Amino acid sequence: MTTLTFTHITKSYPKRDTPVLDDFLLDVQSGELVSLLGPSGIGKSTLLKLIAGIERPDAGDIRFDGESVLSTAPNQREAVFMFQKAYLFPFLNVGENIAFGLKVKGFSTKERLIKVAEMLDLIGLPGIEKRPPNELSGGEQQRVALARSLVIRPKVLLLDEPFNSLDRPVRLSLQEAVRNIQRELGITTLLVTHDLDEAMAMSDRMALMMGGKVAAIDKPQRLFQKPPCVETAKFVGVKLFIEGVASSGTLVSAEWGKLKIEDEQKVGRSIFAIRPEHIRIQKEKCENALAGVVKNCVYRGTQIEMKIALGERVLRAHIPAKNEIMPAEEPVQVILPKEHLFAVN
Amino acid sequence: MKRFLIWLALLAPLLTLGLFALSKGWFYPEPFPAQWTSQAFSRLLNDSRTLKAILDSLLLAFIVSLLSLIIGYPAAREIGLRDFPGKKYVWLAIFLPTVIPPLAIGMGLSILALQTGLAGTRLGIILAHIVPTLPYTVFTLAGVFARYDENYEYQALALGASPTRIFFTVTLRLLAPGLAVAGLFAFLISWSQYLLTLLVGGGRVLTLPVLLFSAVSGGNPTTISALSLLFLAPPVLIIAATARFLGENPNDIHERI
Repeated sequence: MTTLTFTHITKSYPKRDTPVLDDFLLDVQSGELVSLLGPSGIGKSTLLKLIAGIERPDAGDIRFDGESVLSTAPNQREAVFMFQKAYLFPFLNVGENIAFGLKVKGFSTKERLIKVAEMLDLIGLPGIEKRPPNELSGGEQQRVALARSLVIRPKVLLLDEPFNSLDRPVRLSLQEAVRNIQRELGITTLLVTHDLDEAMAMSDRMALMMGGKVAAIDKPQRLFQKPPCVETAKFVGVKLFIEGVASSGTLVSAEWGKLKIEDEQKVGRSIFAIRPEHIRIQKEKCENALAGVVKNCVYRGTQIEMKIALGERVLRAHIPAKNEIMPAEEPVQVILPKEHLFAVN
Repeated sequence: MKRFLIWLALLAPLLTLGLFALSKGWFYPEPFPAQWTSQAFSRLLNDSRTLKAILDSLLLAFIVSLLSLIIGYPAAREIGLRDFPGKKYVWLAIFLPTVIPPLAIGMGLSILALQTGLAGTRLGIILAHIVPTLPYTVFTLAGVFARYDENYEYQALALGASPTRIFFTVTLRLLAPGLAVAGLFAFLISWSQYLLTLLVGGGRVLTLPVLLFSAVSGGNPTTISALSLLFLAPPVLIIAATARFLGENPNDIHERI
């Protein structure tokens, strides 16, 4: 069991003007799975390389259990990788691949055989020791890669978008398998991904990276429902932001008029947001209603995605799939329920 | 039909050589030699000078290709995998030996060899041969590295393997086909090297090309043909043995996603 601490990590590359990581801070608890979310090129993979020792930070420290690992050679750090590709050694069979790290550490042939068999059971592919890696499917190869990494009981597991190249059903089952095995072995894990669904499904906490640092970190549910800032809110799918002046339960916006808000304490200029699935569409007027016309509806099975025109502006709402699909140009009332309006600044 | 013509064009000179080598006088207007004999071959293969020349050539070419690989590997790796300022000029410097006329290089090397006492020694010839082989080795290996994925090595590193261990158990295994091709290039260039061997060796080290040239000036077509075939045999055998490696990408032997 290992805790992982980053203190004020800075890392620049000669070809980029701004540092990839800029005063990056993060604490990962022992056995926790933290995902790092963010658009590509934001330094997620760089961070993993720093932990593994493939690259060095310009400043700051990385600690395993409170002890700096910067002076530890990469092959002594016990931080293992799982990439988008399995990178199984093509000249070794599955068993030999999994045993690679054990052999390096000097385990006897007998011990290696036992541990390899155990790992194959754990990943749900018993008895395939003798198969060459190229006979396995992409998902199976990733499972074997995971087994190869975890058989040496590493301190830290680094997942660098490991499910990207897989078909959806394989991806989902592999996500579940990785999560279960990670929990069972209690290995501190960092997952780098740009897939919000994946991060929410797998993480204990997810961290959103912006401008070389963690913009927000919290449990997936909290980050999704109440994102603390505009960038985070946008990332988790919030489309509507209302800028205005709040006072005693009312938000006055030049663009959207007067809206009721629950937060009585909020005073002054503020930005409020609402998730598209919390917006209600109905015929009758009520509190926080805005008049508009339907532009189009897309049926998604689990929900209906609507675009509604309010004058010049267009607003998106996701309503339950059981509703009728409305024709275009139908006049409707858009309700922004006050219990779902939250401040993002 | 097209195939047949291609094969004919490729093989006709060799067939002629074969006929000459096995004939005992072959004169116009006879379509085929009147008398057959394997005398030329048995004479050459019993001649200690020829045998020594074959062995010397093989040994020199082998050492030269090995050294070219060892010297070329770091350069090729850096060029193939990284970008750095001045990369263009490094390329240019590496390719210089292939664009400068061989005679100019040869004369310079000859003088240098005389000054350093390497003239007429095998070591001198080996060093001279590396000059033309190295650009091809670096070029071939850089191409291999451009398609090489270092993540295999990172995986091994994360699993606790030392850099030396990774080099021998992972990198060499993955690069074996590319190294074989690059080594083969160096071997062939060294094997067929005449000018540099003569200029630096000063005729004191006899390799097969040197013998072949002196035989050509001797003017016996049977001997020339037999010697030419002996000269051709090792490269052909080596290419046949390594043909399955040629053109194979070291990284896509496996993986089926």
